[in-house]
Amino acid sequence: MSGARILTIARLELTQRLRSVGWYVLLGIFMVLLLGITALSFLVFSSNDLPGAGVFSIIVNFVLLLVVLVSPTLSGNAINGDRDAATLAPIQVTAATTGDIMLGKLLAAVATGCAFLLIALPFLAVGIFGGGVTPGMFFVSLLVLLLEIVVVAAMGVGLSGLIARPLFSIAATYLVVAALVIGTLIAFGLGGAAVRTPVTHYERGWDESGEPICDSWEEYTFEQPRYDYVWGFLAANPFVVLADATPTEFDVDGYPRDMFGQITYGVRMAQKAPGSERWDICDGGYDSQPSPEEQMRDTVPSWFVGLGIQLVIAGGLFAGGWSRTRTPARRLPPGTRIA
Amino acid sequence: MSGVVAQGVKRSFGSVDAVVDATFHAMPGRITGLVGPNGAGKTTLLLMLASLLAPDAGRISIDGVDPVEDPAAVRRMLGWMPDALGAWPSLTARESIVTTGRLHDMSMTGARARADELLALVGLADHAASPARVLSRGQKQKLGLARALVHRPSVLLLDEPASGLDPEARVQLRILLRDLAAQGTTILISSHVLSELEEVVDDTVFLVAGSVVAGAAAPATRTYRVRLAAPDAPAAVADALGMPRELVGVDRGDALLVVADEAAAVAALRALVNAGLPVLEYAPAQSALEASFLALRHPDQPAGPPAPPAAPQEGGAA
Repeated sequence: MSGARILTIARLELTQRLRSVGWYVLLGIFMVLLLGITALSFLVFSSNDLPGAGVFSIIVNFVLLLVVLVSPTLSGNAINGDRDAATLAPIQVTAATTGDIMLGKLLAAVATGCAFLLIALPFLAVGIFGGGVTPGMFFVSLLVLLLEIVVVAAMGVGLSGLIARPLFSIAATYLVVAALVIGTLIAFGLGGAAVRTPVTHYERGWDESGEPICDSWEEYTFEQPRYDYVWGFLAANPFVVLADATPTEFDVDGYPRDMFGQITYGVRMAQKAPGSERWDICDGGYDSQPSPEEQMRDTVPSWFVGLGIQLVIAGGLFAGGWSRTRTPARRLPPGTRIA
Repeated sequence: MSGVVAQGVKRSFGSVDAVVDATFHAMPGRITGLVGPNGAGKTTLLLMLASLLAPDAGRISIDGVDPVEDPAAVRRMLGWMPDALGAWPSLTARESIVTTGRLHDMSMTGARARADELLALVGLADHAASPARVLSRGQKQKLGLARALVHRPSVLLLDEPASGLDPEARVQLRILLRDLAAQGTTILISSHVLSELEEVVDDTVFLVAGSVVAGAAAPATRTYRVRLAAPDAPAAVADALGMPRELVGVDRGDALLVVADEAAAVAALRALVNAGLPVLEYAPAQSALEASFLALRHPDQPAGPPAPPAAPQEGGAA
């Protein structure tokens, strides 16, 4: 394995991409969208004393959305597309090893994902200028975003080595990414709603004349979904990983300042089992609600588990693609033409 | 052993046996032609020699190194030009060669210098800055050859190198290959254009249905084309040789004469000249390689174009 050869292969990929007009059109559209998103974000967080954090978080999430939507197309045919164009074998007969080829392709796919981040940089700067972006939030969110770019790129390159036809490997990459982005949400939503437990509501209210009834409890029971059993599914969601890993900043009332914190809060609340509810007029109505900051104190972070699962999937697919691309080839994927 | 050696090489894809038993030795300093019908396994065999495909059985040695055991070492001395070389469409010819050189661990300056050298050598200097997408098929072939030569390989594997080349480029290719062979390069060429291959190869390996078969000599009985600087060549030839006219074939005004062996061919020519016929051309109607190839495929049929039914043995004696 050699750094120079890996860079040569990555550059070869990128040069070809940079010379196609469509690529610039895509980046141009992305830029226009970012402009709109930044403007809207400022309106959304205008009531906040430090709106910049919210704007920043929305832009980072939007970049991740774009990576998830576009990256599979760019990386999902890295190997088999070259094989189809008969440009893979001429590289394989050079000193470039399978590792050089795989890592070079991965590097090119990651660099392409980073191009979206690069375009977003001025907008992120505007967000930082708006105030509220802490160094921890800045570095952690961008680092996790980078890792997510690597994960999606590795899945695409791996599947393009495992599956013979580019069309199928791109579709497969989309399905794996969709399983993480949408599948986890579906599993969470359906799973939680399918498993329900009875929850009892206790109430001391008023009688007809408007006097509090303090000597007896009224109680009724209803079913609550058990999201606390299935919240783990959400851990593997890229957006949840990004939000959960980023340190949450709270405002003076204990509410999250940005979108990362809001997503994290939602996921953390799902960890809590539904308990009995109490509405007691003799004791000031509902139990006073603690602030999100207080509620999140006894919940656990999950981003490292989710990221770990993603890295295992991406690593497995990448290793599989690697071993299928080895030469001299013993077994070929069905329908493969080697040169 | 130097050169390219294959011993009992076998490779199948599922139930299809692409190469059954390939055994041959292509020697350094010589050009070896790999000849076989479509689907005989030539490309599969070349892929195995090029270290891209592992044989199911048998051994391959490229200048003494087994490509399965040490592909990296083999690739350092091997130049491979596939029949359909994918060119990176948006890279220029020069960039393509430089990239290939860089992948062979050449320095940037070294790769650039070598690229200019090769562009001139294969006759692509005028198109150095053209993207590969706009190159013609022949120009792409030249680019493929240049890429195969970038690291000065000691073994060259060429799959249909002349396809798409114009006559001048073919002559240049032949000179270039002879030059490389003279410098000690082992060259293995697979091609369908046998008449052309015959002009350049020293040795021939016949691959039929996945097996290397004995390089049969061209059958003794061959058809000669006789062209006269006079009208009605067949009749004149028949009369000069004292043969019945129906035994001499006709092709585009020339006489086709079937002779039993080389001695008979010499005797017939002498007879024609002695008879005062203005002989302009007297040559086998078919290249020796083509004749032996067809003899290999259809051992029962006589080789050659439409010819008289019986071999006029007496023709030589006349």
